[in-house]
Amino acid sequence: MAKLRNSRAPSRKAKARALVLVPFAMDEKGVANRRAQLTKVKLGPDIDFDFRPVTCGPTMFMSAQDFAFMDVAIYEAGVDAAKQGYDAVCIDTMSDSGMEALRSALDIPVISPGKASMLFAMMLGNKFALLGQWEPAVIRAQKFVKSLGLEAFCAGVENYDVKPDYVNLMAGKEDKTLPRMLAAGKRAVANGADVLILGSTTMHQAHEYLSARLPIPVVNPGPLTYKLVESVLDLGITHSRRPWPKPLIPHGDLLHAMFKAGAAHSTGGKTTKAKPRAKAKGQRR
Amino acid sequence: MARKKKKILVLVPFPMTGEALGMRVAQSKQIDLGPDLEFHYRPVKWAGTNFVGPYDYVLGDFSILEAGLSAQDDGYDAVCIDTMSDSGVAALRAALDIPVIGPGRTTILTALMLGDKFGMLVMWERWLGLYKKVMDELGVWQKYAGFQSIDVAPDRFSLLGGSEKKIFPLLEKASWRLIEQNRADVIILGSTSMHQARDYLARKLPVPVISPGPTSYAMALTMLNLGLAQSRKAYPAPIARSDVYVHAMLDHAAQKAKSGPKLVGAEGLKKKAAAKRRAKR
Repeated sequence: MAKLRNSRAPSRKAKARALVLVPFAMDEKGVANRRAQLTKVKLGPDIDFDFRPVTCGPTMFMSAQDFAFMDVAIYEAGVDAAKQGYDAVCIDTMSDSGMEALRSALDIPVISPGKASMLFAMMLGNKFALLGQWEPAVIRAQKFVKSLGLEAFCAGVENYDVKPDYVNLMAGKEDKTLPRMLAAGKRAVANGADVLILGSTTMHQAHEYLSARLPIPVVNPGPLTYKLVESVLDLGITHSRRPWPKPLIPHGDLLHAMFKAGAAHSTGGKTTKAKPRAKAKGQRR
Repeated sequence: MARKKKKILVLVPFPMTGEALGMRVAQSKQIDLGPDLEFHYRPVKWAGTNFVGPYDYVLGDFSILEAGLSAQDDGYDAVCIDTMSDSGVAALRAALDIPVIGPGRTTILTALMLGDKFGMLVMWERWLGLYKKVMDELGVWQKYAGFQSIDVAPDRFSLLGGSEKKIFPLLEKASWRLIEQNRADVIILGSTSMHQARDYLARKLPVPVISPGPTSYAMALTMLNLGLAQSRKAYPAPIARSDVYVHAMLDHAAQKAKSGPKLVGAEGLKKKAAAKRRAKR
């Protein structure tokens, strides 16, 4: 139990409960793949983690539209966490989607792996590299690193050019994917990285394989967040209110109603292909 | 079968025993990291006085390196350094495969997980060079809101013991200046020796207050449980180890200290000045 406490940090209970927000609407099988991250780190006996997918949200994460949708979806899924008895919130995406909004609404710690894994990597070495899945992830990650002011510490973003599967993750594709990930990791080392960060929590299944084969530490972002949650609860600290001021109206109920309506229209989490737009007359391909 | 406990070695930057060492050990009682972790405190064999400039930093690096060189062979799982100067961290990271954690770098990066800008609360302006050293190495000046000092020379041995009523309110006032004038989102206690003030300040202030010692212990556990340690690429191992010579030099210095001139640190200067004032009256 924590002995240190800051004035805003809620006191820790004998058994703490943390809520992990999964950024895509998915069924129990998909959530189980995410929950498997818990087995990758040794956690104390006095904390439980519940996994909750968003009510509805984007099916891909590659365009600005997806980013805006996911921000709101994660906020909606977590805004009542403290009222529901949770002591901390984790966000299961390296984009840190929804983190800013949830930190403004909640006093309990909200830990997300994006910025945190980069700062943690800097505890282990001077330069980190991010491993992205495909080209759209590279551009997004580069922008994210720049927005955090951490460009000087980033040796680059490498990708292994495999389209992400947010529900099944790597299952059944390991033989093809793992060697490509390793090759990308080796490129990161050659480019001066001291530490490699898996660029998505969906890559957690590759952590052991890469750690055993690369000469630098490999940070597995999801399990890191669980440990960071334990640490901040033990230290009795939570995020500062100053960069994340309280909203005047949290709009939780309105968002719940909107997302319930959205879920009723959703595809049940299945990826759907956008219909090709009719070719306009005279349009060049 | 009982689970094997993880052992963490905490290196104390000045030679000390008894009550003074007990005050350093008290940091581990401020945080409960579970039953599987054990802390052992080992003071250096010999040191200069307070860390107030490059002369002291070099001595600190060397004496802390010597104290930690055998940590892995002694069966420790991680090493923490009990000074915000991160003295000896880089050298020990090069020498050891187990995680070596310095509170300077660690608390700054932890503060940035909780806010955008951090401020340093310090007892004494002569400590500022020590943060410059850590921040130059880390390269995060743009995230530094600044410092506030209460301008009280620290006591390395009794820490804040006995002067809480005088010191704690001064620290609180300086913290408010950090929040209101410097616009700090997070406050870092400028020394592990200030840990006794942490709870008092945390109760009074609206921003997170980071106590460097316990934070470094939590991060040591995080690294151990994730199976991680410092990168060998950032901290290449030495080609040959000179441990035997390093130990011999510090053993000699410790021996010499018994018969040589007594070094007077900031706490001694303070006592001397007080005695002078009394004599004048």
